[in-house]
Amino acid sequence: MSNYLDGKVAIVTGAGRGIGAGVAKQLASEGAKVIVNDLGATLDGDGTSNTPAEQVVEEIKSSGGEALPNFTDISTMEGGESIVQSALDHYGQLDIVVTVAGILRDRMIFNMTEQEWDDVIRVHLKGTFTVCKYASILYRQQRSGRIITFASESGLIGNTGQGNYAAAKSGIAGFTKVAAKDLGRYGVTANSICPRANTRMTQSVPDSSRQLRADRPEDRETAPPVDQMEPEDIAPFVAYLASDQAADINGQTFLVYGGVITKLSLPRRIRTIFKQGRWDVEELRNLAPQHLTQNLVNPSPPQQPK
Amino acid sequence: MGNLLKDKVALVTGSGRGIGRGIALLLAEQGAKVVVNDLGGGVDGTGDSATPADEVVNQIRANGGEAVANYDSVSEMEGGENIIKTALDNFGKLDIVVAVAGILRDRMLFNMTEEEWDAVIAVHLKGTFTVCKAASILFRQQRSGRIITFSSTSGLFGNSGQANYGAAKDGIAGFTRAVARDLGRYGVTVNSISPGANSRMTQTVPQSARDIRAASGMQASASAVTPLELNREPEDVAPMVAWLASDEAKDVNGHVFHCQGGQISLMSNPTEERTLRKNGRWTVAEIDAMFSGTLGMDMVNPAPAQSPK
Repeated sequence: MSNYLDGKVAIVTGAGRGIGAGVAKQLASEGAKVIVNDLGATLDGDGTSNTPAEQVVEEIKSSGGEALPNFTDISTMEGGESIVQSALDHYGQLDIVVTVAGILRDRMIFNMTEQEWDDVIRVHLKGTFTVCKYASILYRQQRSGRIITFASESGLIGNTGQGNYAAAKSGIAGFTKVAAKDLGRYGVTANSICPRANTRMTQSVPDSSRQLRADRPEDRETAPPVDQMEPEDIAPFVAYLASDQAADINGQTFLVYGGVITKLSLPRRIRTIFKQGRWDVEELRNLAPQHLTQNLVNPSPPQQPK
Repeated sequence: MGNLLKDKVALVTGSGRGIGRGIALLLAEQGAKVVVNDLGGGVDGTGDSATPADEVVNQIRANGGEAVANYDSVSEMEGGENIIKTALDNFGKLDIVVAVAGILRDRMLFNMTEEEWDAVIAVHLKGTFTVCKAASILFRQQRSGRIITFSSTSGLFGNSGQANYGAAKDGIAGFTRAVARDLGRYGVTVNSISPGANSRMTQTVPQSARDIRAASGMQASASAVTPLELNREPEDVAPMVAWLASDEAKDVNGHVFHCQGGQISLMSNPTEERTLRKNGRWTVAEIDAMFSGTLGMDMVNPAPAQSPK
């Protein structure tokens, strides 16, 4: 056991499987007491089960660590409040929040139902807000704390059939940048991770995604193969961000997979046209394609009907 | 009157005032028939009124253009569907969707209520989805269409006191990139504008935001006020929107543009800036040893810790 997080208390949501489980175990192995939260639902968000969270807690304990299972639905304000309270009730403090909980409901935009939109936004985006809002009240009082959220390249680049997921994940990225600015002065840091890993979410593709990609072979992601990227590979960097050593790392986004940790830039103004006053439409018709949009690649060019 | 958008039909949400109004007026001036949608509420989303949308419609007609008002709330699926239906019922088709509708409920994160969160997410983020989803069904069938959404530097970079707004606006940027991939193959383009303008939303700063910034000593915007920022009018955003909405911009898909006064910038997405790599899994101790000399170089904390007052 290493001791970067000795004496700390952490909440990890979605910690029953995959990346979240890896994070929970790593934080515990660094000395933190961990609230292992997982509703235990299917990837589509159906049903509940105590088993995933309990299993992770068992593994942590058998390695000599301390953990408690928690089965709260963090997508409600009451859930977010109760999980923060439970850290205080059981362990007397809270230092670290890692929000990993998330589901998939892939669907092309023209077929996407309201339910598919609402559920994905609720679990990922609202489920990040609820826990962080209540944690931030405490963090401000104690003038310390760590927030680590989970965004995704799906929002940064755009992935077919994931309008809801991209909205939620980019929403988390935006939320985290603001949380960093709201809380930094109190000695708190908030950062986002964009992960790649071989997990239930990426491998056991839900029926909706399977159907979608079966119909469209040209849409399969061209990202590097995920089979060498294990969910546990994400955790060491999360543990580092959670530690006192990372006190000045705030408002950043990192891409993390395998042995790779990449600092991502904020968006930049890469091409600019300027005039004093207001653009004439005629002027833009000339200048925009010559400079602003010259050689831009269409990520999904028009195709002939089949 | 120009002819860039001759024979096109457009709908613009949130076009009763400010940036949306400027867009509706310019699209009409360029030949489009326009559905002017606005709930007519306050910046904080409360109340409603037919007046803002009606006034814009009247102005378009007085200028020789064609327009019709719609007062539906974009936050509901039925509202989004109904705005599309208004275009089809009145003008027989739809070519262009511009989703501008939005409100503010600024609050520091630790004080933000559920209602403040939900309301802002509903109008901006869900309000972009409802209209785009409904339009996308039509656009896919007709194998053409234009969608322009509205993001913000508050989402792209983050602005204190705007956890809800930043989440919604960065969420809209992510949504735009994803939907560009869903629809591009059908001859549709989907792009986002991050605007800078002096409008009701930024000028008549809601009392909550005014209080926050007075209490924390923070300015409304991160940078000092420049001449450009003093002179940027809501109508300045419209020309780029009109161009993106035209046939001439058919190869521009999945991008974010920042429009402020006479400045138009193509924004990059977050990209790889610095990378640290090893074969195999990192230990925390190894990261601790390596970080400051590699990833951490020149890294600035946007809100460093301060001593209590």
